[in-house]
Amino acid sequence: MVTFTQSAYNAREKETAEKISHIKVSNKEMLCHVKPVSCESVIYKRFVSSMTTLTRQDLNFGQVVADILCEFLEVAIHLILYVREVYPTGIFQKRKKYNVPVQMSCHPELNQYIQDTLHCIKPLIEKNDAEKVVVVIMDKEHHPVERFVFEISQPPLLSVSSDALLSHVEQLLRAFILKISVCDAILDNNPPGCTFTMLVHTREAATRNMEKIQVIKDFPWIVADEQEVQMREPRLIPLKTMTSDIVKMQLYVEERAQKMP
Amino acid sequence: MDDLYIDNIDEFVYDQNKIVTYKWLSLTLGVHVNQAKQMLYHYLEKKRKECSASQLHATYLVSGKFQQNGNTCHKVTVVREDQLEDTKSKLIVTASIHVYSIQKAALKDSSPLFSTDYDIIKENLDNCSKYSAIRCAIATPRTSEEISRLQSLAHVTTPVSDGQAVTSKPSINGDMSATKPVSQQAKGIVGLFASKTTSKSKETSKEVKTESKENSATAAVADKPVNKTKVPNNFFGKAATSKSKSSAQDEGKLIKEETNSQASLSKEVEKQSSNSVVKPAPDIKEELPKNSEVPPKKTKENKIKTKRLEHSDSENEKSESQKKKRRRIKKPQPESSDEEVIPDSPPSSSAKTSLASPHKEVKKEPANSTENTSNVRRRKKRKVLKSRTSRDEEGCIVTEKVYESESYSESEDDFSKSNKTQPTKSTASVKTVTGKKDDEKKGHKKSPASSNKGSKQASIMGFFQKK
Repeated sequence: MVTFTQSAYNAREKETAEKISHIKVSNKEMLCHVKPVSCESVIYKRFVSSMTTLTRQDLNFGQVVADILCEFLEVAIHLILYVREVYPTGIFQKRKKYNVPVQMSCHPELNQYIQDTLHCIKPLIEKNDAEKVVVVIMDKEHHPVERFVFEISQPPLLSVSSDALLSHVEQLLRAFILKISVCDAILDNNPPGCTFTMLVHTREAATRNMEKIQVIKDFPWIVADEQEVQMREPRLIPLKTMTSDIVKMQLYVEERAQKMP
Repeated sequence: MDDLYIDNIDEFVYDQNKIVTYKWLSLTLGVHVNQAKQMLYHYLEKKRKECSASQLHATYLVSGKFQQNGNTCHKVTVVREDQLEDTKSKLIVTASIHVYSIQKAALKDSSPLFSTDYDIIKENLDNCSKYSAIRCAIATPRTSEEISRLQSLAHVTTPVSDGQAVTSKPSINGDMSATKPVSQQAKGIVGLFASKTTSKSKETSKEVKTESKENSATAAVADKPVNKTKVPNNFFGKAATSKSKSSAQDEGKLIKEETNSQASLSKEVEKQSSNSVVKPAPDIKEELPKNSEVPPKKTKENKIKTKRLEHSDSENEKSESQKKKRRRIKKPQPESSDEEVIPDSPPSSSAKTSLASPHKEVKKEPANSTENTSNVRRRKKRKVLKSRTSRDEEGCIVTEKVYESESYSESEDDFSKSNKTQPTKSTASVKTVTGKKDDEKKGHKKSPASSNKGSKQASIMGFFQKK
């Protein structure tokens, strides 16, 4: 099973993670009808020896952080799709975020899919249950070729949000966007006909709560298959790390050594 | 200069995978921009000779005289290396070419170029023009007394116009109306232009369009009371005042602002500049860039024109010169959490403010028409670019940007309302489409993409400069 130790930067070495519960959004390819998947899912619990208890007394603050992160993730996902040429460039349009231009897709179904996904992830982030959000790019045979992993952790310290802090966070997020834009220099080209999907790695048994608060109908979450989580001969390429008072985030890419079939 | 910079650039490009623009380099190494350009050029030459530059990509800034539809203009553009020769051949006279940036990645669009400069300038707000080639002795930051005086002026006049800040639009379209700075936001820029309106009467056939972010952002200077984030405010305040004044001296600029009643932060400033003749030239002392080793810069014999061209060239370099010919800049909203559409390069026919005919064109939503009336409420019709998503006969989803007539009034209230209706319309159309079940296969995905591409040919593809 995928464990934390795969990522070199992981600060949580003390945890002995054995199993992780994966949640996967059913891969909704462009223009295809989504088939409802049965919600019966087998959840593998992750047993941790020591776990920092994260109390977020101020729910508003947690919501603010979750909002910021979800907005950022939306922009980042669109940008990844653009830079990695998962979809033709024609559907992308320049928009502005964090005072810099970014490419966002205009395709309504794609946008809706991404928004729905993030809408479901947001409660997890609010409660700091989401550990990693992964954008997986897969080839025609549905084997992952690249994984963009956003590792998110929120420090237990509850800082007062101030203007300087938010603009600092904005600057850090801008740096992420910039790094994604130039990542094609360090990654190999993907084979044609790739699709993407998103995974969320959660802590503990957050999935149980997910079922209770099935936020969007017709948009079920299922446990990820091994096939989509594991990647043959992964190469780790770090992209960016940020540390701030409200959130710590790392972005790295795992790419398959042999991408072309 | 010693060769340490070669190693520096090497490290930036290869080890850190950064985009090294000349502006970024000049601020990082503390050298004059022209020296930075030469450094980049030398580095590029060296790497090319060594043949190890397989992964190195460069962009160039090309400027010169360009003719289109019978109009000549001064075109300043940032192009990729493979488009360099093509662009040069299209110009009647090439005024200047220099390396704009060097990076390992093959950039798909120009946004990272802007992002690179944005952060470094933000860090060096106080002295961002320290290494620049633009100089204007008259351009000095306003003193705080002046600012407070103008603010009180603005306070007095704002109650007149329905509680909304009215736009002041000094325009070049033959119809000069020297407007007083009425809006709080406009006071900084418009104060400059109040004196400049007289000089705009003389115009040449050449037009220069430069839109600088700093200029547009000067509007934010006034926004202090409402502006929540202080850092971006400072960024605009300090950088903009010095730059806007220096650039304003040279060419007449058209600035148009609207204020949104709700957000009270968002502004849109559109700045277009046109070449004005000799008058401002004596006021400007510019250092002519040293051309000796730089790739051929053909300067004009006319010194004044050279100054102007160089000025506009370097000014455009200062601004977020991207791979498009013209751009509209929207003033950034510091607190905005919605993505906004940055209009791509507008259709060329509408972009130019030619002298003969005052164009009333609104380029994109929520763009403003370049009108030259002020303070008068009038209902007018204008064409607004809207995005419509629909299904065509094959069942493919087509998103088109169409010009639609929309009636609006000069005052802020209605405009802000129309602003709001537009986003709701587009979201409504999105919802209706996603509600439909779509049975199409992947093969069809190409057709909406290509039809999108077709309809947006003018806008997105425009900045790949395939003209």
